[in-house]
Amino acid sequence: MSLSLLILVGVLFSVGTYLLMERSLTRVALGVGVLGNAVNLLIVAAGSRPDEAPIIGRSGELTDPLPQALVLTAIVIGFALLSFVLALAWRNWSITENDEVEDDLEDRIVARRAEKNSKRGDVPHHEDVEQ
Amino acid sequence: MTFIRSAILDELVDRWLSKVAALVALYVTFRGHNAPGGGFAGGLVLGGVFVLQFLTGREPHLRHRPIRRPTMLLGAGLLMALGTTAVPLFVDAAPLESHIWKPDIPVIGEVKVVSSMFFDLGVFMVVVAVVLMMLLSLGARGSSLVGDDGGEVS
Amino acid sequence: MVLFPAVVAQFVAGALLLVGLRRRPAIGALVGLAVLAASTAVVATRGIGASTTLTETVGWLSTLGFDLVFELDGFAVLMALIVLVLGFGVLLYSLAYFEHDSTYARFVGLFMAFAGSMTGLVLAADLFTMFVFWELTSICSFLLIGLNDKSESARQSAVRALLTTGAGGLCLLGAVGILQVELGTTAFADLVALQPTGAVMDAAIVLILLGAFTKSAQFPFHFWLPGAMAAPTPVSAYLHSATMVKAGIVLLARMSPVFGQSDLWRWWVVLAGVATMLIGGWRALRQTDAKLLLAHSTVSQLGLLTVLVGLGWSTALYAGVAHLVAHAVFKVALFLGVGVIDHELGTRDVTKIGAARRRAPLVVAALGASTLSMAGMIPLFGFVTKEKALVAVLDAEVGAAGTVALVGVVLGSVLSVAYSARFLHALLSEPDRGEHDAVANHHEHHESSVLTRVLLGAPVLVPAAASLLFGLIATRVGKWLVAPSTSLAGSAKSKLVLWPGINDALIISAIVIVVGAVIGWRAPLSVAAPHGKHRSRGERSFDAVYDATLGLAKRLTRVTQPGSLPMYVAVTSLTVAVVAIAALAVDGWPAFEGFVSDSPLTIAVTVLTIAVSIGVAVVSARFTAAVFLGGVGYGAAVLFLMRGAPDLALTQVLVETLTIVIFLLAMRSMPHSFAPASSWAPKTVRIAVSLLVGIVVPLLVLSVHGARTAPSVAEDYAPRSISEAGGANLVNVILVDFRGFDTMGEITVLAVAALGVVNLVRAAERHRRQRERENSNASAAAGSATGDVS
Repeated sequence: MSLSLLILVGVLFSVGTYLLMERSLTRVALGVGVLGNAVNLLIVAAGSRPDEAPIIGRSGELTDPLPQALVLTAIVIGFALLSFVLALAWRNWSITENDEVEDDLEDRIVARRAEKNSKRGDVPHHEDVEQ
Repeated sequence: MTFIRSAILDELVDRWLSKVAALVALYVTFRGHNAPGGGFAGGLVLGGVFVLQFLTGREPHLRHRPIRRPTMLLGAGLLMALGTTAVPLFVDAAPLESHIWKPDIPVIGEVKVVSSMFFDLGVFMVVVAVVLMMLLSLGARGSSLVGDDGGEVS
Repeated sequence: MVLFPAVVAQFVAGALLLVGLRRRPAIGALVGLAVLAASTAVVATRGIGASTTLTETVGWLSTLGFDLVFELDGFAVLMALIVLVLGFGVLLYSLAYFEHDSTYARFVGLFMAFAGSMTGLVLAADLFTMFVFWELTSICSFLLIGLNDKSESARQSAVRALLTTGAGGLCLLGAVGILQVELGTTAFADLVALQPTGAVMDAAIVLILLGAFTKSAQFPFHFWLPGAMAAPTPVSAYLHSATMVKAGIVLLARMSPVFGQSDLWRWWVVLAGVATMLIGGWRALRQTDAKLLLAHSTVSQLGLLTVLVGLGWSTALYAGVAHLVAHAVFKVALFLGVGVIDHELGTRDVTKIGAARRRAPLVVAALGASTLSMAGMIPLFGFVTKEKALVAVLDAEVGAAGTVALVGVVLGSVLSVAYSARFLHALLSEPDRGEHDAVANHHEHHESSVLTRVLLGAPVLVPAAASLLFGLIATRVGKWLVAPSTSLAGSAKSKLVLWPGINDALIISAIVIVVGAVIGWRAPLSVAAPHGKHRSRGERSFDAVYDATLGLAKRLTRVTQPGSLPMYVAVTSLTVAVVAIAALAVDGWPAFEGFVSDSPLTIAVTVLTIAVSIGVAVVSARFTAAVFLGGVGYGAAVLFLMRGAPDLALTQVLVETLTIVIFLLAMRSMPHSFAPASSWAPKTVRIAVSLLVGIVVPLLVLSVHGARTAPSVAEDYAPRSISEAGGANLVNVILVDFRGFDTMGEITVLAVAALGVVNLVRAAERHRRQRERENSNASAAAGSATGDVS
């Protein structure tokens, strides 16, 4: 385990979380990018020793290839995800001329319904039997 | 929409870069089986070239022909990867099981071909297509690059 | 294999009718009648007098010990015949009852599905199989109560019934789980042999009883049954009096030989049954709607059956089985008869149904006979079984519970004689002149054909005649019932007689009949509905619980989901951090040791990356932030390279370059700097949360790192890499060969993300263009307007 990598991972997680809590979608995208890097470094740092690249034929002890295989696809998928978030930010921008995250409308509606309900009585009465 | 423009760059990008880069990208893809590289990296190399072309004001192209339908490439790549996964099932082997050919080609000598290389080629095509699609759609605001119908280059 | 196909055929018929024969429901009903007749034939030929018991197993979740097991023992034959024969009669009746009603097709389909569920339920040889069909009957009942889906009250009654019986079903499932885990079986025969006891079994007992009580409308769950009368008469007659509500009784009958000796079981059964008997009987005296009167009387009779079947005493079990038959026969006639009166007169008001005597004398006579059977009058079958019930509780050797049961049965009988007398009074009373005219008017609009009258009348007359016949040949019927009761508990052998001679039970009966008749005949027919009490107390309690649950959910949502997405992120992160800290505090903090010494280059790159990453968070210019993000990526790439991951380094460098470009493209029309955004919390809180996360994650990494004991899979992959996959680069071989399926999934994700980006951008473009068009139209309109003015 490398202490400097550990500290780096910690800092990247802090920065990523901080950016994720912003309202500006561009900064959220930046946070997603930073967190992606943090997780990739974390997996490599925690999953293997810093030995020779896992290619058969190289001299010396080979490092564990599995974390690398995981991270390799994670890097590319992280890119795709980041692009998607950016596309969202852009769409928001072109439609509303700002790139901020709005409050979730559905949650607001539920909350308002709850307020209304606490004042209302109960369900309509069961009046009679039919047929 | 042009970010950078100069005659030398035009020459460089149009005449050489695209062709050389395509070769480099394929090389990176296929050497990946034995050395650093592979379909993801190779695809990103070619994607980088397209970015360069895009930034110099061109549509991404190979051999002067703009790539109009990256979604076709995307589908082809997925199909190729899927095919490599499925073919071993028909010859009574586990999915994705590799087969190794060693054809002897005149002049070059013995060449080792592994069936999983085609899988990597599929990955390569998907990555290239993904980069192209993102480039063309996010880069196309206000221009005619995004069509009404398919979202492809028009 | 015949039992399973017999059950499935009814479902198939139901499904086909729901889908295929919507336009021709009458033909569908004929198909249904044929299926019911065939199933009856199967059960009768294979079940009655068979020397060996037919058992069938249909494999389902065999590895978990759950299969569908059917067994055609004596009790199953009896119950299946009740279900199928009454089903046949009721379906026949429904042909005339619904006439041109648009819901008839749906009724027939659901009716068949219900008949199949109920048949499966009574044939079940273990609790699991019974549970499966139990739930199916609950669902069919829900759909049938709500058949008239335009009526709000019908929908509410359906929901009440579903939630009540559904909750009971969940309890039953819990019991299935307990029995399967504790004993490894839920088969009734095994359970009887095992006679399990203990604290865990007490839990199972409570769960089973809750299931039975909800299904059979026992106190305090009795409220849903009268509400279920919102359904059309054939549904009420079949589901909510003759069969489905008996499912709880069937369950009690099956489990009584297992748990009947437990005090817990006995007291619960006796108290719930007696309370139900008295409440149902009392309320039946106060109903003005004849159908509701019958519904409450059903509740009361179910209480009696619960006591008898659940008492865990062999004679009582026999009496319970006998009375179950008697009740099914007279109650189906009563319900269908009231349906005929409703059909003829257009009313079910007890002060008006007296007019039916002239319109449908035979039906009224049948109703009278069935009512006498319900009251327990000699020589009808109800008398025989009621006598047997009295004898059973008189002789019961079960201590104090037996005494409570005796008092309850006697008082309950008084009430049942009383409400029977009141119903009889209503049938025989002379309606006043005005009512008579109104009824006559209704009848003019409503001339029934002969076929209609036969179809409506026969299902009423036949069971009424059976009530009389069974009473007259009580001894023989008693012999028929020996096999069903001995199949439940081997010792439950007894007999029935029409005239037992003068004994204690007969004297009690005589007193009961006199007292009950006086109360019932004098009870007023017209009862002013208490003001503002449209729902019964049970229904109101149910609704209060229901509303409170939904209200709580909404209030909880309002508190926990205020709508601010950044806050959700903060709460989630904080939760992760706190849980992780708690886990570490319990499990021990990781040791700060075993670090490799980092090269100066590594330290330098790390410091630089840290600086750049902080830059991402603090700069206010968008482009600079994006470039800094790229810097973080390049830093990571260098670190990958130094840790023996050239593949990662190569990919990371390429991706970072592309990322910066995509950022620039996406942000190029946005303002240079971030707007100072309003936030849900002060900056200090956000910094505190993110710092906490930044401290917890490395701690977790440390403890995870130290916890690894398994060797790397690379040790397995490395020797196979060249020979099997023909490649030396282990990372690549894992991606395209050993774990190629994963990669396949990952490139699919890539493809989906790319398509998402393309479509988001296209949607934004379309929106923008539309707005431009509107703007230009608006300005054009404004221009022409000014032109007009000038």
